[in-house]
Amino acid sequence: MAAAGFSSALKISDLNDFITPSQECIKPVTVEKQKKGLGSIRIGDDTDDLTLETPKIQRVQITLNDCLACSGCITSAESVLITQQSTDELLRILSESADRHIVVSIAPQARASFAAKYNVSYRSAGYRLRSFLKKLGVKEVLDTSFARNFTLIETKREFLKRYKEDRSRLPMLSSACPGFVCYIEKTHGEAILPFLSHVRSPQQVMGSFVKTFLGSKLSIAPDKLYHVTVMPCFDKKLEASRDDFFNEVTQSKDVDCVITPVELEELMLKQNVVFTDLEDTEESPSGQFALEHCYQHKGSGSGGFGEYVFTSAVRELFGEEVPFCDFKTLRNKDFTEVMFTRGDQVLLRVAICNGFRNIQNIVQRIKRGTCNYDFIEVMACPSGCLNGGAQLRPNEESPKELLDRVVELFKESQQSGGRSPDSDSAVDELYRDWIADRAERLLHTKYKAVAKSTSGFTVKW
Amino acid sequence: MRVEQVASLEGHSDPVWCCAWSSDGNTLATCGTDKSIRLWTEQDHEWVCGTILSDGHSRTIRRVSWSPCGNMLASCSFDGTVCVWTKKDGEFECSVTLEGHENEVKSAEFSPSGRYLATCSRDKTVWIWEQGGTDDFECVSVQSCHTQDVKCVRWHPNEDILASASYDNSINFYKDEGDDWACDFTATGHDSTVWSIAFDREGDKLVSGSDDQTLRMWKRYHAGNQAGISPSWKCISTIQGYHTRPVYDVSWCHLTGLIASGCGDNKLRIFAPDPEQQVDCHTADAPNFIQAASLDAHRQDVNCVKWNPTRAGILASAGDDEVVKLWKVFDYEIPI
Ligand code: SF4
Repeated sequence: MAAAGFSSALKISDLNDFITPSQECIKPVTVEKQKKGLGSIRIGDDTDDLTLETPKIQRVQITLNDCLACSGCITSAESVLITQQSTDELLRILSESADRHIVVSIAPQARASFAAKYNVSYRSAGYRLRSFLKKLGVKEVLDTSFARNFTLIETKREFLKRYKEDRSRLPMLSSACPGFVCYIEKTHGEAILPFLSHVRSPQQVMGSFVKTFLGSKLSIAPDKLYHVTVMPCFDKKLEASRDDFFNEVTQSKDVDCVITPVELEELMLKQNVVFTDLEDTEESPSGQFALEHCYQHKGSGSGGFGEYVFTSAVRELFGEEVPFCDFKTLRNKDFTEVMFTRGDQVLLRVAICNGFRNIQNIVQRIKRGTCNYDFIEVMACPSGCLNGGAQLRPNEESPKELLDRVVELFKESQQSGGRSPDSDSAVDELYRDWIADRAERLLHTKYKAVAKSTSGFTVKW
Repeated sequence: MRVEQVASLEGHSDPVWCCAWSSDGNTLATCGTDKSIRLWTEQDHEWVCGTILSDGHSRTIRRVSWSPCGNMLASCSFDGTVCVWTKKDGEFECSVTLEGHENEVKSAEFSPSGRYLATCSRDKTVWIWEQGGTDDFECVSVQSCHTQDVKCVRWHPNEDILASASYDNSINFYKDEGDDWACDFTATGHDSTVWSIAFDREGDKLVSGSDDQTLRMWKRYHAGNQAGISPSWKCISTIQGYHTRPVYDVSWCHLTGLIASGCGDNKLRIFAPDPEQQVDCHTADAPNFIQAASLDAHRQDVNCVKWNPTRAGILASAGDDEVVKLWKVFDYEIPI
């Protein structure tokens, strides 16, 4: 199950070695092969070859310990990291450190996943998750959506700067999807890295906020704060453990542990908790991060980057208001674009590109210098974050039917079409009280090319 | 049946991995470890190499494939790229390099409609590219249904259906489901790597060659078939007891119905429908194929076999011994 929680980009790239030993694993194993009797031609016998599962060569089991003891593939460190971010780890922290203040931040996509699978409203799903987590001993349950305001605003600022001063770094590519970022770092390096936005994803802005602001507001020492996020994919675990998100001041990671809907559901199952039996009480909201606000931005279910950058750039660059963004489907539903034109001149071109196959075309076009977009919202999962690799799986309906309802519920939660980060006094307030002149440190990050693991194995024909 | 060698094409300086006939049957393209592609044509009853394409790849070229119109040639390499060579003023030049696979690309095949190009790799994925202008290919799908190295991709002769064979012992079938392609059937049965697959003329059957030293024949069951079998590809016979080493390639002649195999035991074999079997092989559930010829074709592994698409009974083979050979089969109506 673990590997399935990743985006396709991570599964396809060398990173799939995180979870399962690659086929070239050099640990010596013996495989018993069945010998077939000699003979001439065997006339097909129906029972044998029908669609029945025929027993195949037994899968070789290799444990993490085997990997650690072996230098054959450079993947063990990354697998360890995933075992460190699990519900077991969360339970351990809960039971061992009673004095720790545990904060859980829930991503709206994960909340919508629970709502769709269990046929409750988006609101109610959040409250039920909160009652479950609080019963476990979690002190505070928050919504990550408000943090996205800062990601969006910083993304717009960065885009406008590039548009005005450094067009050679257009198209600017959103970087909130760690599946995409890791793929670029490992596979394309310097050819594509300059195009990535340097703004932190909502998860990491949330992390920054909890560790640097919430802690001091509640007068809790950083080492007593433990921050967990609930995210739609395993890729976010990798993001959380990036060196850049280790806070030197607090001596801790901004997000200590990432868990996903599938893992949470499994934990409920283990503890005999029925999701629909959980209480869904509304509380009086404390602060902008409360689940009660259902703070949702306009646009796609991945955060609305394309929509926000387009509308705000048209406003700030060309002084016009676009009432709504009409993204046109191109080759497939996961590749859409919107343009701003005057006369027959295209002034701004923004695209949303989801899924590995579309990422390929974007990357190749950028490399060939034929990519004429200004900004692209890039997400590794087909259909974006609402279809994250670790969202809940359906019981009876098809994955597509469940996804359709997740999308539907998410749209409903975008009150009156969704909000905008602009002219929101709560946002301004936090810019003043928390961020001040530290935007670069708190809201930005950097990337670096990762050397491809060159395996010492001979070619396989 | 009688088989004669009609030519020996020498020129490659390393093992030859693949040979491919152009759809008019007049040109044979070959490639291999020496990183070059050679184009051979018959002039005054002699087969000569008139063109050598190099500089496209930095490592072994594993396979080549012609576009149906004959104006394009795709080559795939262990350097992880696919080159599309386009004929301009009578000369082939590399017009586009397709990147994306993480590592060795094992097979590249144009679809019979010429619209698609499929590629597969050790990275376990199968990619489908669509031709946009002459020099433009866009990735329309990346399929990761195999759990291991994918060895070979082949298109159905009349429909946009793709099949792939893998080190995970299975064969997958893909079709366009509207917004994306999807694997709609996985055929299992081989006990080891499936190295190569080939469709028959109608596309109702598929033959596969495997490391388990057998050939298997698979029959397509359409939706709503009379036998009441769910839509699938079902193994209807296994040809075993002949090959003593892995079977590296199979080719199913669309003119004669003969099947050729290339094997690690240096032999080229030809299988024909059993004349004793009193059933029409095109409809029979379990056609009986018997070995009609076995030749010590090469001094080392036979890597590739290909029937000529227009000249009945002409067969090309390529081997680790750096040689490409052409064969002529006589009396193929009478197998033995
Ligand atoms: S698209 Fe969203 S859910 Fe999918 S990997 Fe990226 S961040 Fe995770």
